[in-house]
Amino acid sequence: MPPTVLIRPIFSAKLKRTLLSLGALLALILLALWLSGGLLMLERWVVEAQLAIQNELAAGVRAIKQGRPGALATLLAVCFSYGVLHAAGPGHGKVLIGGYGMGRRVAFWSLASISLAASLAQSLVAVALVYAGVALLGWTRDAAQNVAQDVMAPIGTLAIAAVGIWLATRGLRKIWQQAAVPAPQPHDHGHDHHDHPHHDADCGCGHPHGPSLAEVERATSWKDRAALIIGVALRPCSGALFLLILTWQLGIALAGIAGAFAMGLGTSVITVAVAGMAVWAREGALANLPFHRVAQVLPWVEVLAGSLITLIALTLLTQTL
Amino acid sequence: MKPLILALALLCWVQTAQAHPHVFIDTGLEVIFDTQHRAAGVRITWSYDDLTSLQIITDKGLDPDFDGNLTPEETTQLNGFDMRWEAGYPGDTYASMAGQPLPLSGPSNWTVAYKDAKILSTHYRSFAQPIELTQPFLVQVYDPTLYVSYALKLGTTLTNAPDCTARTVLPDLDAARVKLDAAIAALPQDAEAGYPELGADFAEAMEVTCPPPS
Repeated sequence: MPPTVLIRPIFSAKLKRTLLSLGALLALILLALWLSGGLLMLERWVVEAQLAIQNELAAGVRAIKQGRPGALATLLAVCFSYGVLHAAGPGHGKVLIGGYGMGRRVAFWSLASISLAASLAQSLVAVALVYAGVALLGWTRDAAQNVAQDVMAPIGTLAIAAVGIWLATRGLRKIWQQAAVPAPQPHDHGHDHHDHPHHDADCGCGHPHGPSLAEVERATSWKDRAALIIGVALRPCSGALFLLILTWQLGIALAGIAGAFAMGLGTSVITVAVAGMAVWAREGALANLPFHRVAQVLPWVEVLAGSLITLIALTLLTQTL
Repeated sequence: MKPLILALALLCWVQTAQAHPHVFIDTGLEVIFDTQHRAAGVRITWSYDDLTSLQIITDKGLDPDFDGNLTPEETTQLNGFDMRWEAGYPGDTYASMAGQPLPLSGPSNWTVAYKDAKILSTHYRSFAQPIELTQPFLVQVYDPTLYVSYALKLGTTLTNAPDCTARTVLPDLDAARVKLDAAIAALPQDAEAGYPELGADFAEAMEVTCPPPS
């Protein structure tokens, strides 16, 4: 037997577990940095960068009005950077996507596509708000901002809370079901094949074995997707609103709408990265558990993530009301 | 342990979202003294960021040719746009001596200019009584809600006070952030509670010191 055939499965399983563990470790380091104030530097930089990019944005709009060549491309590039920068700061979308990714065993590509859709929906909501409210109904900029803050944001927050409650109750139901069965199925199963520690490690990497794990890994339902997207989309960022109103006033509406979507694309760069980080950290934590524990732990993670998302949403709600 | 850290981190994350300025104003301060070496008032200069300037100009329908300059008539039309203060609005400039607040009057003698895509406005505010600077005197610039970010980038000057010195005091941002987070955490969970107004802790300030009268 050629050595590669023998070595590769062991090597890749070990490598996979190491790589996955690294994700959990990295997430913990980031969180620790955050808590110790190490990210204050980043925060300060973001505020300075916001000023710089706000000036660029104004320059871009003026360049279009003055009919300079390449002005639209420049504006779109600035908008994209604005989206990335804004999303790099603190925000509800990342909490929601990150929390959901930690709590549910959702595949990366699935979560990433939700993130992208949510960011673009956020742009769409901003466009709809400005053109329905400001252009058709004659609202002022302040009025549009107030609607975004006082009406839409609370609805979005409720959608976020709904996702949290949903996650938590789903987890609780699973815990209750497991408790109802005296000898848990995954444990019995474990006696046949999985008692060996080495084998345990292999199987902890997320292969869908037992029925309860398969159930947990089931594709995310459309209701989850819709709630996640609504939760993110109903909080349009004021930068997009400002740009849309300004360009509408100046008669370059299409440039503004394109800019708003460029901002959404920029935002999605960060939310997709958060989705990846969440999945990586979750799988890393799970990879260090023996297989038969995974099915037991997962519902608790779900309950915890759900409760956290709900708590954060309610905190946000009391602040905005 | 891990869930606890996660919970705390997420909460901090969401709550810092509030402290996030959208309007940036480069500020200049000039403390003007009277003939008896007492501080009579402050002239405040505000230079708005490009985007805010463009929004204000567009809202007013000025500079239709987009050359970044206003005609004298347009300048007259713009003058005083930021000087119609609602009753009780403190004007984002705060004077104090040894921690005692010194109330400033409403704005007067205001000017405006639009140059290099930025609106630059100035206004004067006086003290009810001229102040003898027996102790370090502080002028802070801040929006309590942190929606507007004021930075003392246009310098600090003293007029008619050859013996006194002025310096810019930058805030201890780390301490301010810790205090803000603590204040948010201590908020009662009801709808009545507002966002803690700790803008002063993030404020840049001008400190004036005068020698004791001989």
